[in-house]
Amino acid sequence: MNSCKISINIRKLSLKLFVSLTMIFIMVIPAAALDGNEILLQVDRNLQPESYEMYRKLINIEPDGSEKEFVLYSVKKGQDKMIALFLSPASEEGRATLRLGENMWLYIPSVGKPLRITSLQSVVGGVFNNSDILRLDYSAEYDAEILEETEDRYTLTCKAKSSTIAYDRLKMEVDKKTMVPVNIECYAASDMLIKTLYYKDIIDFGNGVKRPSVLETDSPLYKGYKSVMIYAKINKKKLADEVFTLNYLSRIDELR
Amino acid sequence: MKHCCELILRAILFLFVSTILFFQPATAIAGENYDFDMEEFEPKKFKWGGYSEIMLERIDLNTGSAIYKLNFHDDPLNDLNRFNGALQLEFSYRKGIGAFNSVLRAKAGMDDIGWSDTEDVYEANLSLKPSPYVTIDLGKKVFRWGKGYAWNPVGFIDRPKDPNNPEESLEGYSGASIDLIKSFNGALQTVALTTVVLPVREGINEDFGEINHLNLATKLYLLYQDTDIDFVIFNGESRSTRYGVDFSRNLVSNFEIHGEFARLTDLKQNYLSETGTLYNRELSAIRYLLGMRYLTESDITTIIEYYHNGAGFSESELERFYQLIDDADAQLLNTGTDALFQTAKNISKMGYSSPQSGRNYLYMKISQKDPFDILYFTPGLIAILNLNDQSSSISPEMLYTGFTNWEIRLRFTSLIGGNFTEFAEKQNKNKLELRVRYHF
Repeated sequence: MNSCKISINIRKLSLKLFVSLTMIFIMVIPAAALDGNEILLQVDRNLQPESYEMYRKLINIEPDGSEKEFVLYSVKKGQDKMIALFLSPASEEGRATLRLGENMWLYIPSVGKPLRITSLQSVVGGVFNNSDILRLDYSAEYDAEILEETEDRYTLTCKAKSSTIAYDRLKMEVDKKTMVPVNIECYAASDMLIKTLYYKDIIDFGNGVKRPSVLETDSPLYKGYKSVMIYAKINKKKLADEVFTLNYLSRIDELR
Repeated sequence: MKHCCELILRAILFLFVSTILFFQPATAIAGENYDFDMEEFEPKKFKWGGYSEIMLERIDLNTGSAIYKLNFHDDPLNDLNRFNGALQLEFSYRKGIGAFNSVLRAKAGMDDIGWSDTEDVYEANLSLKPSPYVTIDLGKKVFRWGKGYAWNPVGFIDRPKDPNNPEESLEGYSGASIDLIKSFNGALQTVALTTVVLPVREGINEDFGEINHLNLATKLYLLYQDTDIDFVIFNGESRSTRYGVDFSRNLVSNFEIHGEFARLTDLKQNYLSETGTLYNRELSAIRYLLGMRYLTESDITTIIEYYHNGAGFSESELERFYQLIDDADAQLLNTGTDALFQTAKNISKMGYSSPQSGRNYLYMKISQKDPFDILYFTPGLIAILNLNDQSSSISPEMLYTGFTNWEIRLRFTSLIGGNFTEFAEKQNKNKLELRVRYHF
């Protein structure tokens, strides 16, 4: 009887040891073996689920400290479909921007039809442009390589997959523990620094989404100016492909 | 009264320039701890909003022009000061799959001639959305078809835009429509079919065309290989049958091209013959537009469009109309009778004094966002050129949106051209306007 108990305990101990070793193997060994693109993929999944809705507040801060705020409701599906709807201020309410891959449109209620816009334009003014507001997965737009690795950070260099992408190159620092970006330098094809993005204040949004809640940016092209994006209510959401069409743009508010 | 208007106008111009130059938006100072109160952005069943605006205009009248003589021959004026106020209200109520939407607009104006006001229902419709694939609309609604910015040759059921203000709201037409959407994976990404039934009866859409007819308009939209394509057909007895196609595509991320082509059959048109006699003709005409939009690294947006209107008047037909008014003016001076002016007034309503009544036009708009480090400031220039007679309308403007929900626009328009050319024969010579709009 006793020998039977000992045998079961040994088996249990062996199983625990096996599970622990496997966990250590999963957590440590593969992390060391990750390449740039795998890190980028993990960054994407940690920043946003594949299909979701969220609310954001954008604040443009001028050199004297004065501010202008915008509130957006956004939905995204897959790697290349995204919509942002302006909820505030009243002068912008009802405007919606749609992105399908590299195609972008702006719907203005008074105009009554969507107009094509470009990723480099800014519908809100300030440092954030349209591609920042309608950002797709980094891994959908960039190929990444590890430039440097320290004890707590990866530094990636990301090259745009095509010339139509807003920034030709990114230099991204990723926190190893949380696998989310800490800061990203965005460069033009001429190697000019266009802007720097700073991810801050990690919080738990629920449903397994734990990510920075604040994104700040500044730019040598807008000296003294700063723009901030604050995230709220990031929820996984099932969305029909038909939502991401020009005909649907006037109805986006009904998704809320 | 006139002196008073001038004083008000000058005072507001001074305030506009002073505001831009010396003051900054009065808002809170940014802190490092950002807050985002979600409560006020929760979805609501009933929503309302809109804007109110005031507009001050100072117009130098072109006292030698044909249209001035037509409108002012019995009460001459050198200039006109106008004060306009407008209110636009937008309501929506949503329940389940249905929503009721309405847009109401009231406008009142006072100038050196007198007072005028209008109140219109721009939109009032019930919208049913049983699924993401289907939308059914019943009631008054605006349909803005076509890809052009200043003109839309395929806008068969749209009211004509003002190329100087193409982004302004327009009044819709009453009818019923169904919109079907389907998305795909592959080169063909989206297909959407919109069908509109437009009745024209006494009291319903009377200004659309011949009454007591039911009209049908259909648009098939495709997003194919990153290109927007629309096929449009209008069939009905209120207007002649017409069909068209349009497209829009980004060649590179900052360079977009677009175009529209329309064929209008069996158009009936009155025109002045070489002998000065009014004749009626029936024709099939082609209208087309080719355009581009280009954005530079320094945030300068350029929109250029070429528009051909095969149903427009030729240069010589327009000249004959201006000559008729000249003759009417001479008749009034020599005999004291305005009979010829009455004839010219009737003919002017047959399209001769409509905006852009000629055949070939070029539109150009150049604007720059946030120049000289002034955020929310957009200076621009709009030019419309009649390519047949080389006359033009040039409008430099400044727009400032730095105060939350306020929009301030200052615009100067000058009409240039030789004798008997379209823009030089218009009523106005120069116009200075200040528009202040508040959104709520």
